[in-house]
Amino acid sequence: MSLLPYTDTKPQGAADFYFAINATFRFMLRRFGDAGFTEWLTALGKEYFAPANVLWKNGGLPAVAQYWRDFFAAEPGSDVDVCESGDAVEIHVKKCPAISHLKKSHREIVPEYCRHCAILGKARAESAGLSMQLTGGNGSCFHRYGAAGKFRQNMSDVAEVR
Amino acid sequence: MIGCYDFCGHYDWTFHWIAEQGGKELLYQYWDEAIRCDSQKHAADLILSKGVAGMEEYWGHTLSEEAPDGGYSAGAVGDRFWLEMTDCPSRGFLLRNGIDFSGDYCDHCIGWGGPLMRDAGFTVNHAHNHGGQCFWEYLPADNIGKSEPAIEASKAELMRRWTEEKLPVDYFEHANDARNKIIK
Repeated sequence: MSLLPYTDTKPQGAADFYFAINATFRFMLRRFGDAGFTEWLTALGKEYFAPANVLWKNGGLPAVAQYWRDFFAAEPGSDVDVCESGDAVEIHVKKCPAISHLKKSHREIVPEYCRHCAILGKARAESAGLSMQLTGGNGSCFHRYGAAGKFRQNMSDVAEVR
Repeated sequence: MIGCYDFCGHYDWTFHWIAEQGGKELLYQYWDEAIRCDSQKHAADLILSKGVAGMEEYWGHTLSEEAPDGGYSAGAVGDRFWLEMTDCPSRGFLLRNGIDFSGDYCDHCIGWGGPLMRDAGFTVNHAHNHGGQCFWEYLPADNIGKSEPAIEASKAELMRRWTEEKLPVDYFEHANDARNKIIK
């Protein structure tokens, strides 16, 4: 059973939607600046993703690991390993489906694209009583989840997209 | 990560967030600037250069990606393009999952598509019933006096059925803008 709280009639999403996600980041940054971009993603993480965050809170790190396996299985073009240890979950995104599709489609990618994973992930993890850290970016990265306080985000560890 | 699988869900939530920040006017600007001019520039490239043939190419690709199981009919009729959604994959995702943050999700289509069609020399006849069903007629702006009997018959049948079922229908006539809505 999938831990994604929403169901679609097809096994994977349509990759061209990454165009709209990239365009939305550009709009948010232009209209609202860094602070507004962060505010939007934090609210999105806490409100829209609340059903999934509850599953994380109730199921702990095994639920986080299963969620990300199910999530990337539904994103076309992903190549991801999810590893569980006793006190952490590490998601190694070897090939980011979004960056890959945008680059293949010759789209102008927002340099701050990868920051959204750190901001959104932090908001969602905190909602579930956890912590999160992102390192890397620009097509491949590591997401780490653990108990509250275990991981801290340094935004300089998040690569710009080039 | 924000994904494409549940795209329609966070897209709808974002409409609500934008409207809270700057009202509907900011939402219209988002659809025009971010979606028409940026996200959907592949649609603009095709339709501005090829007209109805570009519409066939664009929707041929998009609908095969978003709705591989069907739920629509589309094609050129004379000098115009007709599209009827019987099971919209986008609105359908929201309905199946009980998502309704913005209250008027379907307006986004004319929000970006209307201005694009204006630039391409077309105007739009459109109606949606908020239940995942809608029709679109893209017709040359300089030929709105002429009607296509097959399209007129389809429109009349859909409007009759939706009226009979007492579905709330939003209608746009010779429009290029989400602001031009007529609520039946």
